[in-house]
Amino acid sequence: MSYSLLAPEIILTILGLVIILIGLLTKDESKNMIGYLSAAGLIASLVYVLGNINGMGTFFYNALVIDPLSQIFKLIFLVVSLLVVIASISYFKDNRNQDEYYALILLSTVGMMVVASANDLVTLFVGFELASMSTYVLAGFEKRNPASLEAALKYFIIGSLSSALMLFGMSLVYGITGSTNIPAIIAYFKTNPLFATSSLDIIAMIFLIAGFGFKMALVPFHMWAPDTYEGSPTVVSSLLAAGSKKMGFVAAFRVLVLALVAIRMDVQMAFAILAVITMTYGNIVAISQRSIKRMLAYSSIAQAGYIALAFVVTTQMSIAGGVLLALGHALMKSGAFIAVAVVGYMVLSDNRNAKNTDDLDNFAGLGKRAPITAFSLFVFFLALAGIPPSAGFIGKFVLFYSITIEAVAQASNWLLFIVIIAILNSALSIYYYARVIRYMYVLPPVGEKIKEPAPYVIAILLAVIGTIGVGIYPEPFIRMAMNAASVVLGV
Amino acid sequence: MFSDFAALIVLLPVIAFVLTLFLGKKLPHGGAYLPIAAIAGSFIISLGIFLQIYPEGIVQQSIPWFAGMNLGILIDPLAVVMLMMVSFVSMLIHIYAVGYMSHDPARPRYFAETSLFTAAMLSVVLSDNILQFFISWELVGLCSFLLIGFWYHKPSAAAAAKKAFLVTRVGDVLFLAGIVLLYVNMSDIITSRAFSLAPGNFILQFKSMFDAIPLIDKTQLTYITLLFFGGAVGKSGQFPLHGWLPDAMEGPTTVSALIHAATMVTAGVYLVARTFPMFVAAPDSLLVVAYVGGFTALFAATMGLVMNDIKRVLAYSTVSQLGYMMLALGTAGAVVGAKAVGISMFHLISHAFFKALLFLCAGSVIHAVGTNDIREMGGLFGKMKITATTMMIAALALAGIGIPFINIGTAGFFSKDAIIEGAFEYGEKTGDLIPYGFAVIAALLTSIYIFRLWFMAFTGTPRSERHSHESPGVMTGPLMILAVFALFFGFSQTGFYHYLETNFELMGVSIAAHEGEAVPPPIIVVLLPVIVGVLGFLISYAIYHKRMLDMSKLISSQNPLYKLLLNRYYEPKIGADLIGVKLTHNVVAQSGEFVDRKIIDGLVIDNIISNTLFQLGEVVRKLQTGVVQNYASVTLLGIGLLLVLLRIKFGGT
Repeated sequence: MSYSLLAPEIILTILGLVIILIGLLTKDESKNMIGYLSAAGLIASLVYVLGNINGMGTFFYNALVIDPLSQIFKLIFLVVSLLVVIASISYFKDNRNQDEYYALILLSTVGMMVVASANDLVTLFVGFELASMSTYVLAGFEKRNPASLEAALKYFIIGSLSSALMLFGMSLVYGITGSTNIPAIIAYFKTNPLFATSSLDIIAMIFLIAGFGFKMALVPFHMWAPDTYEGSPTVVSSLLAAGSKKMGFVAAFRVLVLALVAIRMDVQMAFAILAVITMTYGNIVAISQRSIKRMLAYSSIAQAGYIALAFVVTTQMSIAGGVLLALGHALMKSGAFIAVAVVGYMVLSDNRNAKNTDDLDNFAGLGKRAPITAFSLFVFFLALAGIPPSAGFIGKFVLFYSITIEAVAQASNWLLFIVIIAILNSALSIYYYARVIRYMYVLPPVGEKIKEPAPYVIAILLAVIGTIGVGIYPEPFIRMAMNAASVVLGV
Repeated sequence: MFSDFAALIVLLPVIAFVLTLFLGKKLPHGGAYLPIAAIAGSFIISLGIFLQIYPEGIVQQSIPWFAGMNLGILIDPLAVVMLMMVSFVSMLIHIYAVGYMSHDPARPRYFAETSLFTAAMLSVVLSDNILQFFISWELVGLCSFLLIGFWYHKPSAAAAAKKAFLVTRVGDVLFLAGIVLLYVNMSDIITSRAFSLAPGNFILQFKSMFDAIPLIDKTQLTYITLLFFGGAVGKSGQFPLHGWLPDAMEGPTTVSALIHAATMVTAGVYLVARTFPMFVAAPDSLLVVAYVGGFTALFAATMGLVMNDIKRVLAYSTVSQLGYMMLALGTAGAVVGAKAVGISMFHLISHAFFKALLFLCAGSVIHAVGTNDIREMGGLFGKMKITATTMMIAALALAGIGIPFINIGTAGFFSKDAIIEGAFEYGEKTGDLIPYGFAVIAALLTSIYIFRLWFMAFTGTPRSERHSHESPGVMTGPLMILAVFALFFGFSQTGFYHYLETNFELMGVSIAAHEGEAVPPPIIVVLLPVIVGVLGFLISYAIYHKRMLDMSKLISSQNPLYKLLLNRYYEPKIGADLIGVKLTHNVVAQSGEFVDRKIIDGLVIDNIISNTLFQLGEVVRKLQTGVVQNYASVTLLGIGLLLVLLRIKFGGT
């Protein structure tokens, strides 16, 4: 058997371990090169994934699977990690613990990729834990900053709770079906629909939903997210919001959707309620935030609500829409967080002891002080609000459209109602994005123009190009997402 | 060969736009050389494609975009002559602008915006489908808005930019409605299997549209074409949406030359020409085109007579000449079918040369004298020989002066006279001589106002103490090149008509004339345009040079006709004050505000809508206590909630 399809994971794992070794052997001053090394490894993996975007295969006794679904999510994870690593070259410049930082980033990326490829509940759990453990540490990486420590601790406690719940759910599934292999579980459910309405099935599914919902930050499993995103180093927030969050979605696509379809459990309404509450909650709370990182955290909760709409109708198109929006969100949100990191850099270079660097006031006149950052942030905000031509628009469009089709097909008024709520939510979100845009372009600047560090600019511009590129030429991405969706539905 | 690089025609100026925007400040002359080089590249590719496909080739390239739409390039004779004209004139104006804008600190922004504008305009021209056409068309509108308001600190410029944006938007909405209506009709006939797209064709491609014409309901087709024409009326400043064009003169003169004379405003005419097979199939629309065009030609010319701002005279002249082009499409289209496109486009291109020249000469004068008011000029001939001579050439071209029978004359002599003759033939066939009447009277007025302008600016004694000098070579160079074209372009008439005549047949669309074959018009009709042109020159010469007539009696605020014209038929008053302020603002906006403030905000819910959201956010935010135990409880609560939800639904065992 050829393991070449697993080369991306192998490259990153080895690189992660090598970096720790390099860190032990090099002097603090020369550690700045590790960032470039990590970026090179991620680029190599990314090229590998892109080259095998249509690859298929199973490995290690069906524990891992490579298919269109795994490949598009690996693409998302690798792109986000790459952007984060590039930005970190500036963010963690001259930090003496850089080696550990980059090693953890790479290992958490491997964890996410394992989740994307998991074909077995145990693999899935291991992937989840690898990614979570790494990100717990990353969230608290600024160990002299109490906010960062608090963020890490909260993230860790709630994360452990969710892991426990998820594991419990998995053990129930194993108890019912006698297997941990996902296709085998699905096959079991298909042939034994008798269990469809038993309490045990429902409880198992609910625990899985809770476990995945924690990663996805769906209301009411979202409580950790705003605190953690706000307190973590901004580049880590970017990884959490744009990357690791998608882990929950890919796991849900792989396990939940199939299982729910198989046991013919009608959870449409439950997911619809979760999705609507999540998006509305996220958007409403985002309005009154003054911390932009918190605002982005709530906006990403709202985005998770939109993506969760894919579970409501589970047609090929709706899942493709969910995947597309996940891809778009990864680009927009990582870019937006990195842009906030630039503002943090700007504020700290004005005043070394500044607190709350992401306060709205610091964005006044950003258009004059850091024009590239401000313009990119402007693009990301419009894209997040779903304004064409952008990745955010394409994702929302496909998603909302698919639900409308389904609503018409089922002659279901409440589905149509959900689309209307989602669109109203999009409109509502423009309100808080526009407020920041007004600060950036209308209010007078509070300081001198700064020179935006090159790594930041590269990362942001890559995200801008991706965001607009997907919006202008969505065809190949839609095709990829449709392929992924056909895997999800097993057709 | 060259056609492989067709996409670069648009992409080069786009790249120049990006580079100039970001790097312009660090480059000499505000980065002007980037757009010049890029547009020169576009021109060379266009010229190469022309030589490659002449006499009857076309270039078609297309890639799928999304949802059955495509991005594509269609370069047929119609497009290629437009491409060459737009890139060539734009290049000359960019070169000229190096001198004209030399004192402006915001030069990089200027050159970036004009470069983007050129890209958008070129993209309009080579679009192979109506959607891409519309998107580029909107981009052109946006650039026009930015450039009119280039000196945005000037309130009048900001207001003019806003006005242009809003007025052309009226047309754009109509245009978009037309596209939607067309799309609905197309998908109807496709789903009913009456029509199927040829393989590799897309629904909104021009080719598919033309193929579907016989199958679309005639009434619907009339609506579609009228809506398209609505877009053209907005963009090309036709009555009643003409008001924005003269105000648009608030931008730099080079912008006026580029956008509001040579290129953008011709987009409306180009739209009608591009979709001409549809118009021919809807004769009622053609009639509307003819009448609106003819009336605009005359109407705008009357206002050109009394304006004192040199650029406004030229602006009204542009509106009037665009009217001629529309008139050509409307009248000649009914008589000679597809040949009308040739007649109209020929005038479009010759107009582009001489009108760009007129504007650049005006710019040269303004640059030297520092005022727009022709009453304060005078006697400039001695100081600005090149400008004065080239402007005279342009004026002769505009007035259509030439020698009949031996066919020697300026560009306008060939192009405009053909339109007037076409209007006459139309009148003969249908008995409707009104458009012809519009055209002849407008020709007389055109000649009067343009020579009035020239005599007042360049002859007589200086009427103010202004220091003036000839402009630098970088400005006079383009003037001379354009003057050569204004003088000699007309001789290509026969070849040009011949080249464009087969334009739609190359796409497999044949257009039959409605009224049968044309016969040569009587001698008097051939002579009349030149006679009125010369007559106009003599009148102006007598009044403004020799001062044989005392105009002060006529030009006074006592004369109601003069007042009417000077106030532009009270159009700004009617448009801005009556419709804009009284009707829209006072009635609609005020009542809206009343409802909003007094009823929604004031009486009924008192700011609840706006405040509730904010306060709701605050309340919900309090749920986020920051205490991690609470978070865990909420998570468990959520699980309980899910359990309840699903149990209620199924009531399992």
